[in-house]
Amino acid sequence: MMNEPIIHIENVHKHFGRVHALRGVNLQVQKGEVVVIVGPSGSGKSTLLRCINRLEEYDSGKIIVDGIPLDSAQNINLVRQEIGMVFQSFNLFSHLTVMDNLVLAQKIIRKRSKVEAHRIALDLLKKVGIPEKISAYPSQISGGQQQRVAIARALAMNPRIMLFDEPTSALDPEMIKEVLDVMMALAKEGMTMVVVSHEMGFARAAAHRIIFMDEGQIIEEAPPDQLFSNPKQERTKRFLSKVLDH
Amino acid sequence: MFTRRKTETIGPALRNVPGAEPHYNMDPWWWLVAGAAGIIAILCIFQPDPFRNIFLFVRNGIGVTVIVTVVSFIFVLGVGMLGGLGRLSKNRVIKFIATLYVELVRGIPLLVQLIWWYFAFPVVIQGIGDWTNIGFLSDYRPNAIVLAIVGFVFCYGAYMTEIYRAGIQSIPKGQMEAARSLGMSYFQAMRHVILPQAIRVILPPVGNEFIALLKDSSLVSAVAVADLTRRGREYMAAHFNPIETWTMVALVYLVMTLFSARIVNYIEHRSRFDR
Repeated sequence: MMNEPIIHIENVHKHFGRVHALRGVNLQVQKGEVVVIVGPSGSGKSTLLRCINRLEEYDSGKIIVDGIPLDSAQNINLVRQEIGMVFQSFNLFSHLTVMDNLVLAQKIIRKRSKVEAHRIALDLLKKVGIPEKISAYPSQISGGQQQRVAIARALAMNPRIMLFDEPTSALDPEMIKEVLDVMMALAKEGMTMVVVSHEMGFARAAAHRIIFMDEGQIIEEAPPDQLFSNPKQERTKRFLSKVLDH
Repeated sequence: MFTRRKTETIGPALRNVPGAEPHYNMDPWWWLVAGAAGIIAILCIFQPDPFRNIFLFVRNGIGVTVIVTVVSFIFVLGVGMLGGLGRLSKNRVIKFIATLYVELVRGIPLLVQLIWWYFAFPVVIQGIGDWTNIGFLSDYRPNAIVLAIVGFVFCYGAYMTEIYRAGIQSIPKGQMEAARSLGMSYFQAMRHVILPQAIRVILPPVGNEFIALLKDSSLVSAVAVADLTRRGREYMAAHFNPIETWTMVALVYLVMTLFSARIVNYIEHRSRFDR
């Protein structure tokens, strides 16, 4: 699991106007690793994640994904094809059915035939547990179902990396588990995952490594057992004492 | 009005296209179209002189009005889309040109624009032809209908540009991000994800533009196009019965606009609920 990291982030800085959102972030993610990023809101977690597929551009530093440096990437679309992204607000294409949401990019990016794209889509919808909703529109299914469709849509492109930007934050409590179950299964299959989440239970169970971020910096990183039970930094302790109330 | 109930009050929900709201297939306002057409028919039957004569005289003007309106509108849709994309372009030159176009056109009355295209534009072309010694430019003879269509496309294209821009901007940013993160280019995302949704949002104002254009097409009567209005004026000049002539012309316009409004309404409903 060592070797060349699949995601290499080196001294990345990012400003939003006057706000210094990322202050020199360094992070390496190995192939097959599940990394969960936690931290208070405004700490730059989502910004960092969005920099990995360049939905945000960073000001300085270096990000290399699967051997391709992002800043010099001739075609950012090629890199993005290898990275699946799941959003807090699902972002399913609201004018398309569930099936067409999965098929669209397969057809125009992967150039798959209609039959093949449908077969792949159906397999994935079975995998996320909603094969019966293929002809529904996004507005006709629940948030949990929408998020599972969104995960399937990303997986249909056969990504090598999956990014999750607070995938359960917009969900009702009873729907969180169905999404986390899908993510858990994905982690077990060996998918490389970077997850921004407040779900400490998921982090504990699925993550190989937890990253704690605050004020645009990585404060501490450790395997979940270590970080949750024995945090080294004062700020990590303070954060955990607020979110891990038993 | 009961046909549109909920969907009207929750405007932004237009994005969630399939509200699966049942609706009545028959729009009750069709009787108004039938009523207006019926009045024309009754007048023509029971008062053939002058109403039937007027109708027969202005009849070929109706065709001209329809052609000018429909052809212009098809081009307006294209210009508006290009303009709307231009207004939102990250390329500052393109954005500047699109914005300048909109600002210029919106500041000049349509009638003045039409007159300019018909009377000034050919002179400009001929002048260029004389200056460069290109024969077919100096011999340019204006075609009134073509220049009228050019004038409408130029003017309405600017208004349509703003409608497209607003429609595209009304689609949540996440839709573009999701499309881009799947590896689509900006234009692929526009074509397959953003525009199909934006077009549903802008259908009502686009329909209104069509009806406005139909009515504004009467302005071409000032630039030698024998449309419905001009034919009315010609009949007037020969027979001098203003009440009957202009009532008939007004009724014919009314039938066309009411009919168009019904069609627009029907398309709107279809694209909102079905599929």
